[in-house]
Amino acid sequence: MSVNIHDMIWAIVNFLVLVAILNKFLYKPILGMLDARKLDIKSRLDEANDARNEAMQVKEEYTREMQNARIEAQEIITKATKLAENSKTGIIQEARVESEKVIKKAQEEIRLEKEKAKTELRNEVATLAVLAAGRVLERTIKPEDHEQMISQFVQEVGDVS
Amino acid sequence: MFFATPVFAAEAAEHGAEHGVGPLFSIFGLEVSSVVTTMWGLMIILFLLSYLATRKLEKIPENRLQNAMELVLELLFKQLSPIMGGEKMAKRYFPLLGSFFILILASNYSGLLPGAGKLPGIQAPTSTLSVTAGLAIVVFISTHYFGVKTKGIGYFKHFVQPLPFLLPLNIIEEFVRPLSLSLRLYGNIFGEEMVVASLFALVPLFVPIPMMLLGILFGLIQAFVFTMLAALYIGTAAAEHH
Repeated sequence: MSVNIHDMIWAIVNFLVLVAILNKFLYKPILGMLDARKLDIKSRLDEANDARNEAMQVKEEYTREMQNARIEAQEIITKATKLAENSKTGIIQEARVESEKVIKKAQEEIRLEKEKAKTELRNEVATLAVLAAGRVLERTIKPEDHEQMISQFVQEVGDVS
Repeated sequence: MFFATPVFAAEAAEHGAEHGVGPLFSIFGLEVSSVVTTMWGLMIILFLLSYLATRKLEKIPENRLQNAMELVLELLFKQLSPIMGGEKMAKRYFPLLGSFFILILASNYSGLLPGAGKLPGIQAPTSTLSVTAGLAIVVFISTHYFGVKTKGIGYFKHFVQPLPFLLPLNIIEEFVRPLSLSLRLYGNIFGEEMVVASLFALVPLFVPIPMMLLGILFGLIQAFVFTMLAALYIGTAAAEHH
């Protein structure tokens, strides 16, 4: 277990030279690269995170807007339905009133027409009666008629007897 | 060590990690042995791997080498952070601690190469006390250096805490730490290599394989333990609060 001083000095010198060599050619480049990569990854992850957050925000906004729009649309539909319902009832009511009016008017017209027809008929009948009576009267008024009638009558009686 | 019977001990002395094959040559009066050349080889391989992994860095990594390196460093970093008391601290001392782990792991595994410890120029560096002691000295010096650097002269207050008469014990503890670090690493790796070598000497075929597989596990554990302890020492010394 003797120590060779030459070997020892060489070991120290060699080691220090190796430290210098490895520091220049291995540690600095590799550790620097690891750091750079770490920073790069970190910044990219941050960026991605930001982008995701932003996207989430936008999505939320859109969702909210969409919901609002849906609610609004529902409201519009409800309103329109109610309006339509109202107007439907109104129209039906109006139509019923109108139809009743028309029916009443028609009935009135029919009644008036009937009345008129009756009056006319009555007048006609009266005229006819008068005419008939006139005719009867005219024949009675005329003597020959009278005579004829009488003779006719006598003849008829005479025949019987 | 259970295998230290005379025969194995002699064998260990023969091919042993401790003595190796002796110095190969010298630079500026410093002898270059097999562990040093192995370290150089490992450094070149580690440099090439690092270079190839980070040559064209991609934010979305298709390069498998880059992926693997990222995985290793990130795992290590995640282990270090809680021990050091935060990612900031872990990042500050990562070059030092990460290099401990990587070099020790590579060194431990270099002992599994064929011919390691037997052929000249190739021997697991962490299987010699000299190398582990060198690494432990780096831990020792950097612990106190970073301690003074962050806390100033107030760093030395912890030697008389919680009670002043514990000063000698505290000082001993500071010196025991590198000793235990180096001995633990050296003992484990050297022992593992010796067991493999002994088994190989007895039955060269298949029998050493389970031990070599265990060696892979031990190599990882020891590299991890050394690094975590170093992190703990430095982290405690350089803790900014209290």
